[in-house]
Amino acid sequence: MLRLLLLVLIPVSAIASEPYASTYVPLASDDLLIVNVTVLTGTGERLTGVDVRLSGGRIEAIGSGLSREGVRLLDAAGQFLTPGIIDVHSHLGNGPSPSIASTSDVNEMTEPNTAQVWAEHSVWPQDPQFPLALAGGVTTMQILPGSGNLFGGRGVTLKNVPARTVQGMKFPGAKQGLKMACGENPKRVYGERTQAPSTRMGNVAGYRAAWTKARHYAEQRAKPVDKQNTTVTEPDLAMETLVGVLNGEILVHNHCYRADEMAVMIDIAREFGYRISAFHHAVESYKIADLLAEEGICSAMWADWWGFKLEAFDGIPQNIPLVDQAGACAIVHSDDAQGIQRLNQEAAKAMAAARRVGMAVDEAQAIGWITLNAAIALGIEKRTGSIEVGKAADVVLWDRNPFSVYAHAEKVFIDGYLYFDRSDPARQPLTDFDLEQTARGRRL
Amino acid sequence: MRNITRVRGACLLVALWSTSAWAGVAVSGGKLYTMEDAEAAEGVTILISGGVIEAIGVDLEIPFDYERVDARGKVVTPGLIESYSQLGLVEISGEATTVDGNLSEYRLGPAFDVRFSINANSTLFPVNVMDGVTRAVVAPRAGNDPLAGWGAVVDLATGSLTHSRVALFGNVGARTAAFVGGSRSAVLQRLIRAFREARRYSPSRYRPDEHDYRGQDMEALRQFRGADVPLVMEVHRANEIVQVVNLAEDLDKSLVLRGGTEAWQVADFLAQHEVPVIVDPLDNLPRSYDRLGARLDNAALLHRAGVRVLISSQETHNVRLLRQGAGNAVANGLPWIEALAGVTRYPAEVFGLDNIGILTRGARADLVIWSGDPLEITTWAERVMVDGTWVPMRSRQTRLFERYHDLSGDKPFGFR
Repeated sequence: MLRLLLLVLIPVSAIASEPYASTYVPLASDDLLIVNVTVLTGTGERLTGVDVRLSGGRIEAIGSGLSREGVRLLDAAGQFLTPGIIDVHSHLGNGPSPSIASTSDVNEMTEPNTAQVWAEHSVWPQDPQFPLALAGGVTTMQILPGSGNLFGGRGVTLKNVPARTVQGMKFPGAKQGLKMACGENPKRVYGERTQAPSTRMGNVAGYRAAWTKARHYAEQRAKPVDKQNTTVTEPDLAMETLVGVLNGEILVHNHCYRADEMAVMIDIAREFGYRISAFHHAVESYKIADLLAEEGICSAMWADWWGFKLEAFDGIPQNIPLVDQAGACAIVHSDDAQGIQRLNQEAAKAMAAARRVGMAVDEAQAIGWITLNAAIALGIEKRTGSIEVGKAADVVLWDRNPFSVYAHAEKVFIDGYLYFDRSDPARQPLTDFDLEQTARGRRL
Repeated sequence: MRNITRVRGACLLVALWSTSAWAGVAVSGGKLYTMEDAEAAEGVTILISGGVIEAIGVDLEIPFDYERVDARGKVVTPGLIESYSQLGLVEISGEATTVDGNLSEYRLGPAFDVRFSINANSTLFPVNVMDGVTRAVVAPRAGNDPLAGWGAVVDLATGSLTHSRVALFGNVGARTAAFVGGSRSAVLQRLIRAFREARRYSPSRYRPDEHDYRGQDMEALRQFRGADVPLVMEVHRANEIVQVVNLAEDLDKSLVLRGGTEAWQVADFLAQHEVPVIVDPLDNLPRSYDRLGARLDNAALLHRAGVRVLISSQETHNVRLLRQGAGNAVANGLPWIEALAGVTRYPAEVFGLDNIGILTRGARADLVIWSGDPLEITTWAERVMVDGTWVPMRSRQTRLFERYHDLSGDKPFGFR
């Protein structure tokens, strides 16, 4: 009886400590030996003609001539194995297809600080874009609120698994993100309403006011209410998020295009004692790659987007390799439901742009831009993001070098379970939305 | 009136001035795709002079005063052509004062003509030409009116207008439906009515308040009816595709579909009516209720049914992504040579660009020497020629790279 009680109590206490807790449980899978494959490890190595054993949802062994006893064999001669791709900036689920008013759940543009909103509460698990990203090898992604606000709200890291609920997709134990935004977007959104912020200095005043308040809020909440202290600080969900950042429980993901604005954001982080995990849409990171390396801040970038607004005007195709070369953490992100399906191609273009100007970059290095570095920015690098013994078997088998435009992800494994198989329609998730729709699920 | 001889004359002058050192160019070796053949020619020499191709062949004698370019180990193709863009009409998409590609306030319909605001100094031209896109159709962006206006063609080396009024552009879908009251039927009825009225349009008798369009729009439609140019309609849903094909058939006008997300569903019908389709091969998202049938193999399925497929990047700042789109079409079933034709020969034919999009004697010398397979993403354009002149491989982006690729040193960045 006591034992039964304990069993019931454990999950209850887990929920209490992690609200809206993940209910994702890795599915059981048979042991698998992928034989004679070329591996891009994500850690900068390229291994040719090796075997990789997946067991119990993990990468159990990597080497030549591994024992073939009791495991299913998958001959992968000529094929490439990479870590599952990770997109640190996505709006799948909160900005789904079809993109119509009733599905538009990205930007809570009702006040400049909406740190209280959580992207996961907007995610529609039946967004038909999820399986398309899976077919592109994406196993993990961070879903973020939009950039209309100074503080957009909390982001969530998801496993790209078909599930009935968002909780069923949540990456267990992954920290939440806080989406912040620099520059044109917040000042335009609120400036048009003749409300603060309407300038970049208004943006900065807005961040500083919020962090000042958060610091004060944390102090007040920490004080015991007794005879000396009779003020009860009302709970404030937005402040809870900011305090989460100050305590290191929530990672800052800062939309910021311009180099000079990133430098200001770095100073704000210093002033209030928090860390910026990554600058997103960082089209000008190459101008301050040395500073970013020194500060240990990742840059999440596009391969070649530019010019859609003035703060994106200085985008260059060598941004990603230049950041990498400076020793800073370089990430290719998508922010786009098409781009997320081809992050391998985005990385390939950035690699080619580097080679074109004589920079030495190879595939073993460039794969890190869409795997391990992304995992670092999300704080899940000990669990996934590279092909190393002991890590989760989040891996993609490509029919050829994934840096070719002709490459397809052949098989995608998440925690060892085969969630996508290009040659088996029964192993291709189909959302409820896509049932009996025009394309009959054949979008690939 | 499709060729503007004065502008072309000016281009030729520029060409003569900048190739001053050599009387011509000889490009030898490499895999040459002339686009007259499905196969590559190897060991061939192309002689170029006066902006055109003088000769192509093996063992050609190369005049002593020709620049000799060794293309061995490379791939040579015609310059790429983007079938739909706002190049020269947009500098910064989010900054309205730099955008001339569409109308939001004054409702000009088919009479809208983008050729008057093409900005040859746009920084977008050098960025994209050095990646091998040599010419582009410049067209109005789909607006509220189902007929958006006239498109033109620019060359990316000089940013100048080379062909005007190459096609009339429009679109049918949810957006235009909202404009006419909320039904796609009303959009099609408006189109049918407008073209019918244009047949007997007379400025002196026309009373705009009794019709959908103003006099200048009717004049444009009257001119369109008499011109040998296609109607290019952005349509995505299968039903409206069929309706628009029938409309063009009644008008006896050639039709080109743009977008055509669900075109694969009516591929045989399109083949039978000889309607080419401008496809974005990356688009498999059911992003609207006009486009639920989006699939990656649209281009391949259309080709298999016998439809001519043109490929578009659906971009302006990055028309350089044209070849990535073409490569993806190949990855999803379109034959490689068809994908290359979809960004060279086919757009030239569809938009009536004579002597462009192919490499043959007498054709304009627009060519690219690629480091490898031009549809692959790890290759690049090594040299780009437009109208016989090598394009400088320099843009605002190459300058920014030069300035910041090495952050060490004391020299202020403003002097670098």
